[in-house]
Amino acid sequence: MSFLAPLYLALASAIAVPLLIHLMRRRIGMRVDFPAARYLARAEREHSRTLRIRNLLLMLLRVLAILALAIAAARPVARFIGAGHAPTAIALVVDNSMSAGVVVNGRALLDQFKGMARDVVGGATSTDRIWLVTIDGRVRGGNAATIRDAIDGLEPLAGAGDPSAALARAASVVRASGLDARQIALVTDGQRTEWQRVTPPADVQLLVHSPSQGPPANRAVTLAEARPVRWTPRGAVAARFLSRDSTTYRITLNGRTFARGTAAPNEEIVVRAEPPERGWVAGTVELEPDELAGDNVRHFAAWIGAAPGVSLAPGVGTFARSAVDVLRSSSRIADGGDIAIATADELTRLPALITAPTDPVRLGAANRALEKANVPWRFGPRRSGETPLRGPLLDNVTVTDRYDLVAQPGATAETLAVVGRDAWAVAGPGYVLAASPFIPDATTLPVRAPFVPWLGSVLTERLVGEPGQVIEAAPGAQLARPRWADAMQTAEGARTTLTETVDVPTRAGTYFLTRGDRRVGAVVVNPSPDESQLDRFTPAELRAQLGGNKTLVADSPGDWIAMAFRAAARRSLVQPALILALLMLILEAGAIGVRARRAA
Amino acid sequence: MESARALRADLFDPASLAALGRIEIVARWIVDGFMSGLHRSPRKGFSVEFAEYRAYQSGDDPRYVDWKIAARSDRWVVRQYEEETNLRSTIVLDVSKSMDWSGARLQSSRDASGADRLTKLAYAERLAAALSLLLLRQRDAVGLVRFDDRIRSAVPPRARHGQWRRVVSALEEPGAGKASSAPDALERAARLISRRGMIVLISDLLMDMPDVERAMRGLRAAGHDVTVLHVMDPAERELPSTGEALFVDPETDLSVPASIGDVRAAYRNTVDEVLAEWRAMFGSLGVAYEIVSTDAPFGVPLRRAFALRQQLP
Repeated sequence: MSFLAPLYLALASAIAVPLLIHLMRRRIGMRVDFPAARYLARAEREHSRTLRIRNLLLMLLRVLAILALAIAAARPVARFIGAGHAPTAIALVVDNSMSAGVVVNGRALLDQFKGMARDVVGGATSTDRIWLVTIDGRVRGGNAATIRDAIDGLEPLAGAGDPSAALARAASVVRASGLDARQIALVTDGQRTEWQRVTPPADVQLLVHSPSQGPPANRAVTLAEARPVRWTPRGAVAARFLSRDSTTYRITLNGRTFARGTAAPNEEIVVRAEPPERGWVAGTVELEPDELAGDNVRHFAAWIGAAPGVSLAPGVGTFARSAVDVLRSSSRIADGGDIAIATADELTRLPALITAPTDPVRLGAANRALEKANVPWRFGPRRSGETPLRGPLLDNVTVTDRYDLVAQPGATAETLAVVGRDAWAVAGPGYVLAASPFIPDATTLPVRAPFVPWLGSVLTERLVGEPGQVIEAAPGAQLARPRWADAMQTAEGARTTLTETVDVPTRAGTYFLTRGDRRVGAVVVNPSPDESQLDRFTPAELRAQLGGNKTLVADSPGDWIAMAFRAAARRSLVQPALILALLMLILEAGAIGVRARRAA
Repeated sequence: MESARALRADLFDPASLAALGRIEIVARWIVDGFMSGLHRSPRKGFSVEFAEYRAYQSGDDPRYVDWKIAARSDRWVVRQYEEETNLRSTIVLDVSKSMDWSGARLQSSRDASGADRLTKLAYAERLAAALSLLLLRQRDAVGLVRFDDRIRSAVPPRARHGQWRRVVSALEEPGAGKASSAPDALERAARLISRRGMIVLISDLLMDMPDVERAMRGLRAAGHDVTVLHVMDPAERELPSTGEALFVDPETDLSVPASIGDVRAAYRNTVDEVLAEWRAMFGSLGVAYEIVSTDAPFGVPLRRAFALRQQLP
């Protein structure tokens, strides 16, 4: 017999009340003069045996009634002798998240889970239906042999998976089985970050086991990022590590080690480099192997190319010229004709960063130049008044003088910044168009700190090379297809044509996005840093966390295996316990009634 | 008839009646009521001598109405007779501490009727006074012995004028010692009656039965007629229905913790057994035995005691 809510067994301590009443009933404080006390003493002497037996019986009835109520509150279930098990639909949910790959005592935790799952499959009969559900929500059905093969083939995922989806799908398949006895048997490492927001299904019995011992210490790479994503060709890699003490790391680019070092726990390191590679490249930040291998490597991607040559038209003003000098001195850009920075009336070619004309009388010339360069935007009416500018890298910037940006038919552009509800800066193929000139009379942008980073971002990320970017994704996730890519490529070169959605691979790594034959971006797949936090719920905490109406928590693997398939064989004893309590109370009332009638 | 009963003091509630006056007055009322309620002549079959006339009262036996006077003067009078008797009687009254107790306190929370109940001693004193007066009116000699652990007072039996006053004065003396010692008192009473007579023991009999039996046996051997009026409070026969307490005998300090609900039935059985034992013991010795409850009107025990008296010569 086991209990679905064993904490309620504490109510059994209430049996102390009738026991104390029974034991202390002779410690009476009230004193009464009664001359016929000799008759009373004689009555007690002559009837003491009867009185003692009756009081003992009353106490036993009360104790039994309280015990039965406490047991009923704890919701007991038990297997009746010879009951076997009825045909059962059981979904084995095996937690194969990255954290389950941790090695304990020389054996991966997932291997232990697989062994347990195989034992449960071994206990299935031909009338049972059984499914294997992995923590990413994948469902595999079939006969026992098929399920056993699927269990053998399980590998740790590169991430946390989706426990809620896994339980929901497990519940869904057992519900659809048509069998009355349904059970989800979950074996997991009970990782806090994985289970803290999971709600178990309310209508299917959930049998859970998690290890009671704590996890081993873990070291992990929790951050690996190219800064900026486009290196020209200088750039940096930022990394952070989870560790109890200092740890050594290695950074690679296209498989080549270009940095090694030692980092303190939770310290963010930034390693600068100017590698010889060009184009989209994959990199890793790696640690020495430990008990959990899945988080010892973290991937990143970067585009590396020569600094673009930038030319300035005379009318853009001194502030833009000074900012370009700063960018040039840091080697992010160079002199050249790759990109032009010009007021619209001076525009002669693309790609270009185009600003509004400084002189309003040049508005017509500006619009004609835009038309000539096939830029699908025109300057509209002039607007004055100080208004905050909103957009990435544009904090604390205001605009006092601007023109409406009027889209022409067929214009497809990305809005980079807005003033109120109007676009202030838009980006399209080969151009970035700003609604104000870069002078302090029109906007505070040229005299604010964000100007140089914003200008660098526009020149090196928007206007140079391909418009691709890096997409960070969790293993097994689904993404909307980026418009600028048509296929995904592994590091080994295998290509997958993209549909409307992108199924992110379950293995961590860098997967390049291509358009035609050219790489235009990358999907970088890494586990969530939370998955490296191996802290576990204790079985009691997991019971509280998954404390649905039908949740059973097995304390040991043997119990978990033994309790599987018992959704049918294990009957609830709540009703019998309540009936027993009621019977005890009726008998107690009867005994009191007999005494009262005799007394009357 | 109902109004006649209502006017008779011997049928009043004892506590209510006792509240109306002193022992002497109450006893007179009781005896007057009692006498007026005798529908049949208590003197029937005895040697009687005419004493006086008195006005007819409701309840008087019509056989004693003097019809000649009624015919002549249109007044109804009854003839009263004097008994010729030489009976000497002694009332032996237990004034021990156990007698000075009323169960009203035990029952007051549950039974409003028990709130004003007389103690056993107060009831017994009024009963003794009334009985004395009744006997004196029959020209019997009446004496009184009060005892607890020793003899508290003794009034030798006399039939002369003023005897009742002496009896009443003795009843008003303080008593209520510790334990009861009935054998000594009964022996003393026997010595006060030089020849065969009647002894009335009024007690709650919370004493050892062998001692009482030994004393009774001696009295009977001396030829005395003995009547025992066993005074009991209703709470001594029927415990209150609920509650727990430490019950302490004020005489012996015997303490018994008990849950009344548990022992109530057993206690009642035990009391019945004890009463049966007393009855059997007194019956075997030829001693008249009556149980008197302190919530019963005085007329009830008086009638029983008087009936016993009438059986004597």
